[in-house]
Amino acid sequence: MTEAISIEQSVVDKLDTATVDIVAESAIYLSLGAGETSVDATYLAAEVPRLTMLPVTQLTDFLEHPSAGCAVYLELGFQIDLTSLILPDTMADCRRVAVLPPGLRHTEWHGWADLVVTGAETNITLQQPHLWRSILTGQVLDAASLNTFWYELINGAYGNVQRAKGIFDVADGRALYFDFAKGLTESGYVELNLPRSLNGRPDRFSGIEIVGEALNQETMAQTLEDCCLDDQAIAYYHQQIKDLLETGDEAE
Amino acid sequence: MKIAVMSCIHGNYEALNAVLSDIDNQNADKVYCLGDLVGYGPHPNAVVEMIRALDIPTCQGCWDEDIVEGLNSCECSYPSVLAEKRGKLAHEWTNQVIHPEVREFLAHLPLSLRDDNLCFVHGSPHNQHEYLLPEVDAFVAMERVLSTGADILFCGHTHVPYVRSLDAGQLQIRVKSTDKSESDMSFSAPLKRIVNAGSVGEPRHGRPNATYVIYNTETDQITLREVEYDYQKTCAAIIENGLPPIFAWRLARGLEFAERADDPTHVCER
Repeated sequence: MTEAISIEQSVVDKLDTATVDIVAESAIYLSLGAGETSVDATYLAAEVPRLTMLPVTQLTDFLEHPSAGCAVYLELGFQIDLTSLILPDTMADCRRVAVLPPGLRHTEWHGWADLVVTGAETNITLQQPHLWRSILTGQVLDAASLNTFWYELINGAYGNVQRAKGIFDVADGRALYFDFAKGLTESGYVELNLPRSLNGRPDRFSGIEIVGEALNQETMAQTLEDCCLDDQAIAYYHQQIKDLLETGDEAE
Repeated sequence: MKIAVMSCIHGNYEALNAVLSDIDNQNADKVYCLGDLVGYGPHPNAVVEMIRALDIPTCQGCWDEDIVEGLNSCECSYPSVLAEKRGKLAHEWTNQVIHPEVREFLAHLPLSLRDDNLCFVHGSPHNQHEYLLPEVDAFVAMERVLSTGADILFCGHTHVPYVRSLDAGQLQIRVKSTDKSESDMSFSAPLKRIVNAGSVGEPRHGRPNATYVIYNTETDQITLREVEYDYQKTCAAIIENGLPPIFAWRLARGLEFAERADDPTHVCER
């Protein structure tokens, strides 16, 4: 079975762990429109290890040799043009689900979806939505600086931000997932279920995605760069954490 | 007699003008300034010229010191690498535009001022860079006031105004003699107070308004004053002068230009 889901936030958030594990056991996740900035995929892979992540580049091979008994969850980004979206024949009869905020009527999603699910209330009022992405793989950020940047970001210092999410490697080796949706719960971060990266610059994915209006890309990029540590500082902090972990002083 | 005390103007000429007008309206007899005349804001020369013209007794703040001595405070003065980079940008900009006579004036500011039983410092009596936060340990707070010999210690630097009364100062000591006898002794410290004047030009209390304090020596009353001013003018000047626009954004929200250092009792190691 193939299911195309037009959601920004993974439904996994809403389900309990046991249910997620059962679903994930026989599920494959693919995101169209994510490009190389795979925040959702990285988040899901870390938090739901049993879920199979399918890179877009492997989609053709997969369709030629589909896994029996697997459900494919295909997430479509909001920026995908539905009129020009042509799904492969083997996926054309998928169940199309649109998760939309309450009160939304007569959108292109209503005509496209087999099932419209009422999602959370949002205050999205964008006339000209703008998507900005930046890959930060290899960068290690100072956590205090990151907190300052994130506070400024979600409070409008760099434009009208409606949605922001990012995965950042910080100095103590952890990967943090930051999440913000305007009008919803307070923004916060969680530590991803990934091993600490304490041997120089990490080679796993990190990056940020922002949807908003009048976004000041240049300043955002510069501020993020200003949050990053140089090689010497990274080595210093990593050694400190290693020493703490060795002596068992690290409070987990 | 009414004494007005202000601090941390940080090159914000609009805010300084508004506070001086308010001080006039309050009929203050004396005015003291606790330093940090420059740094972050767009009008460092104008602020210093105004303070000089009005002959306001002023002690040296950490930013005033840095603009004279160079930015050589230890790196833990900054709570984050982002704050450090922003602080350095502000320092470099100020260092470029500051007039020689203004730098000279800042160089000769005293570290503390006295007026009878009142003492005026920027950060603490120990150092311009030390933060006397309202939650600092009571023993430390009492020691800082006692070290001055004053009854009221006026300070700034934290950018958040407060009045702290140290009125339950009970010190207990145990004396061991050479013959191994012990005796307990108890002392009551007299009432001491720490008064933080907040910040004229770089508030950190969640609103853009300038703050200062007025002390009435006859009634012993301390009044925290919050003064509205046209902060948008300062914000525009920040951008026009090529300072980082984020300074304007933060100023408009009473967030301070950069975060303060984490360690409240940090003393810069130079």
